Amino acid sequence: MPDFFDAYFAQQIINGLSLGLVYALVAIGFTLIFGILNVVNFAHGEIYTVGAFAGLLLIVGAAPPLLAVVLFAMAVGAAAGVGLERLAFRPIRRFSDEASLKSRAMREATLLSSLAVSIVTRELMVHFFSGEMQVIPQAALLQEVIAVGPLTLTNGNLFIFGASVVMLGGLQFMLYRTRVGLSIRAVSNNVLGARHVGIDTNRTIVATFAIGSALGAAAGILVGLYNGNIFPYMGFAPGVKAFVAMVMGGLSSIPGAVISALLLGVSESVATDFISAGWKDMIAYGLLVVTLIFFPQGLFGHGRERV
Amino acid sequence: MVANASRVSVAARWLGLAALLFGLIPALLAAIGGGYPFQVAITALIFVTLAVSLNLVTGTAGLLSLGHAGFFGVGAYAAALASTKLGWPFPLTLPLAAVAAAVVGVLVALPTMRLISIYFAVATLGIGEMIHVALLNWVSFTRGPMGIRAIPPIEVLGLDLSGVVGGYYAAAAVAAAGIFAVHRLTHSYYGNALRSLREDDQCAAAMGLNPVRLKIEAFGVSCAIAGAAGAVYAHTASFISPDSFRFEESILILAMIVVGGLGSLPGAVVGAVLLIVLPEALRGIGDFRMIAVGVFMFLSILFQPKGLLGEASAIALFRRQLGAAWRGDIQAGWK
Amino acid sequence: MRPEFKRLKTLALAAAALACGYAAPARAADPLLIGYQMPLSGDYSQYGEMFRNAAELQLKAFNAAGGVDGTPVQILYEDSKNDPKEGVNIARKFADNPRILAALGDFSSTVSMAAGEVYAKVGMAQLSQTASHPEFTKVSKYQFRNITTQAYEGPFTAKWIRQTGPKSVAIVSIQNDWGISAAEEFAKAFKAEGGSVTGIEYFNPGNRDFRSILTKVARAKPDAIYLCMFYEEAASALQQAKQLNVKAPVFSTSSLYSPKLIELGGDAVNGVRMASTFVPENPAPEVQGFVSNFKSAYGNAPNMFAAQAYDAVGIMLAALKAAGPKATREQVRDALAATTGYPGVTGKTSFDPQTREPAKTLAKMVVENGQFKVIE
Repeated sequence: MPDFFDAYFAQQIINGLSLGLVYALVAIGFTLIFGILNVVNFAHGEIYTVGAFAGLLLIVGAAPPLLAVVLFAMAVGAAAGVGLERLAFRPIRRFSDEASLKSRAMREATLLSSLAVSIVTRELMVHFFSGEMQVIPQAALLQEVIAVGPLTLTNGNLFIFGASVVMLGGLQFMLYRTRVGLSIRAVSNNVLGARHVGIDTNRTIVATFAIGSALGAAAGILVGLYNGNIFPYMGFAPGVKAFVAMVMGGLSSIPGAVISALLLGVSESVATDFISAGWKDMIAYGLLVVTLIFFPQGLFGHGRERV
Repeated sequence: MVANASRVSVAARWLGLAALLFGLIPALLAAIGGGYPFQVAITALIFVTLAVSLNLVTGTAGLLSLGHAGFFGVGAYAAALASTKLGWPFPLTLPLAAVAAAVVGVLVALPTMRLISIYFAVATLGIGEMIHVALLNWVSFTRGPMGIRAIPPIEVLGLDLSGVVGGYYAAAAVAAAGIFAVHRLTHSYYGNALRSLREDDQCAAAMGLNPVRLKIEAFGVSCAIAGAAGAVYAHTASFISPDSFRFEESILILAMIVVGGLGSLPGAVVGAVLLIVLPEALRGIGDFRMIAVGVFMFLSILFQPKGLLGEASAIALFRRQLGAAWRGDIQAGWK
Repeated sequence: MRPEFKRLKTLALAAAALACGYAAPARAADPLLIGYQMPLSGDYSQYGEMFRNAAELQLKAFNAAGGVDGTPVQILYEDSKNDPKEGVNIARKFADNPRILAALGDFSSTVSMAAGEVYAKVGMAQLSQTASHPEFTKVSKYQFRNITTQAYEGPFTAKWIRQTGPKSVAIVSIQNDWGISAAEEFAKAFKAEGGSVTGIEYFNPGNRDFRSILTKVARAKPDAIYLCMFYEEAASALQQAKQLNVKAPVFSTSSLYSPKLIELGGDAVNGVRMASTFVPENPAPEVQGFVSNFKSAYGNAPNMFAAQAYDAVGIMLAALKAAGPKATREQVRDALAATTGYPGVTGKTSFDPQTREPAKTLAKMVVENGQFKVIE
């Protein structure tokens, strides 16, 4: 029995935190979009993938600095998000009456229409780029090693950490200190009420999709460069984990989602040390179920009005 | 007298549906010729059973479940292990699969039933994934990714149903039983109680219903039917592996009932048949096949967001054609 | 009721028409048919794409050389999405077409075996280019494969590693039927050679973050690491190993042999050693012909998977030719079983008459300065 609390264990914690930050990065945009419509956006994983491909195309074409790549990916992501909202969400949205708002059939239909759009997007990407991993120019990878004693970090870790902090801080600022944020919070709280006080709900929702998708796309390119793989199916696994993190965090709380994502990442990573890596998802999902049993509203959720 | 006449016609309509399932459809499949149409029909029927069972929890009782493929897998593995290791025949493995899936379902349901809306959905997602991870990694018991091979074909009381046609009849019988059970449960006061949970469970509780018990019952029945579908799958495919019980399959089943119409029994059937047959029918267009399926799904939801056969119209249809609980002469109600 | 009846009638007519279409007897000039099932959509579509490209190349050459006594051969491709339930449907579809004499595929063992149950029932030979599940050929006498199983490759590499020095090895393997048999066969052989195995780490398919596993492996301080995975995962794993400063020499299964490994992995893949049946530098004319034809047709160099498919199609076509233009499915199976010393690009292939397992020769390869090199 080796001593588990050694440098390797510390490295494992670092691995877990960096994995958790990847989930967190995806979860931030996801939670923002979920919060406003109360509908799972299945296409968020595809937005993430689209962001990664857009960034990669720019890298291959022009090799600009990283910031430009991320901004470009965010712009493409925002555009894709607006398109997604137009295509999959708006046609099925009927806010004029209470009944449709409460109808489960309508809500599940929205969930499935985003799924349909995601299938089509993904298969189109497979068609044009093939399903395989794209070749990323070695210089663009975020895998430069930064050694801290016996532990290793990469510049990718730092970029992802930085991006999470900026996104989280920026979003909290926007949500609680600006007019757009106020209207987003109003719509997410009560759509009809927001409408009655004169908020343009459609515009607010479009803005939310644009922001959330831009964040998702930035996550895609950063994680793609950090992990060294960009392929049409890349969005699926982090998408599911981000979804889980969001719910564990309590839906309405973006910092909650980030903390849950970190918790998931670390538990997966540390679990690998004790049991076979194949079982690590068992730990992650087990953690989810146990959390929900003891915190039915998520870790940081506050009692919501039951619709 | 009137009651008698309507009872006869109800029976006649059920017989008609049975004749369609067991007579006309196999005759048409035989007319197309070969094993392929029957194979597709078997797959479609298995998914009809799954969609109908999911429809009971998600459509009628309003609990969004994202882990249904897990219970399908529990049933399939129970049947496969019992038949290969213990030599049990299909008439025994079928109830075993149903019971195994129901037990797992109820065990899952007990602690999670107080969760509401999306929290419940994510809990079922987590449980479905946990079942998949267990099937994949518990190698000593499930043989993990090696799968289980040489599962004996279906044989009932000396009747050999090993071919595709036999498999069709077995799958059709299980699907019919599932449809009948769900129909009886949903088109009754019991079904109305479940619907009331979906619309407002606090209000239902205030009216004297026990939401937790109703939800657990509905979930258990639904899992049992899914488990039975798993047994049919294991015995007709003769090889199963954890790949068939992934999250994607849960989503596929959910897509079927949403396309068909949440809460609508004929909708679930139509949705399942469409989403199984369509990818096969589209083989001709090659690589664009899955894109076309996605576009179809999108358009159907866009134009019929409440489903191709929505709940309201489906219930009206049932009341007119097959309604028993709504006939004035029968005393019905809660005890 | 009326419109329904009308629809039913149309359906019945369509069904009848289809039935007639299937039943139409083969005319003399009709090509002989074989079915090929593979993933052409979904997350393994790149492999299917590769198989189809290689198959077309082989088929074109075969038909240009006169086909089966003047009768050309045609391959029907079907997309299985790497989904077992679709694989079974396709097998039924192929089996229903009386003109299809044999089937190729599928990609993964899971789908191949699910489909294999159907081919076994209807009596049609199935040759998979990649299914390496130990029980695949035990499904029935109709199952063949041209990939060597890990029972053959594992001991070869185990011996090689022991010869180069390392005494202990850590195994990282994908959690699927292929990975399990690869890891276990290798571990068994390595222990038999007097080495020790510090641990076998399985990861679930789809996982692309290997940092936790690699950290765990590094803690055990093995002399070498053995990877059982495909080249895409390996490229990521090796990059992450370099990042985590894991320095142990890396050996792997033949599935890593792909030019794409170097393109994706860059510097990180230098020094990886593997056994491979397909060596593009092999001066044999059939290998050089294949490599140059593949490059000119598709613009990239073939990898192990393309070579496997190329040979699978070649073996199948040779069997068709041996069975003659009027052969039945049973005769094609027997001709396939009789294959001895087929000179393919992955070496000479013979099927063991009892187990129908292929026997091939393996070469040792290493990545040096971004190039695959054969070690003598």
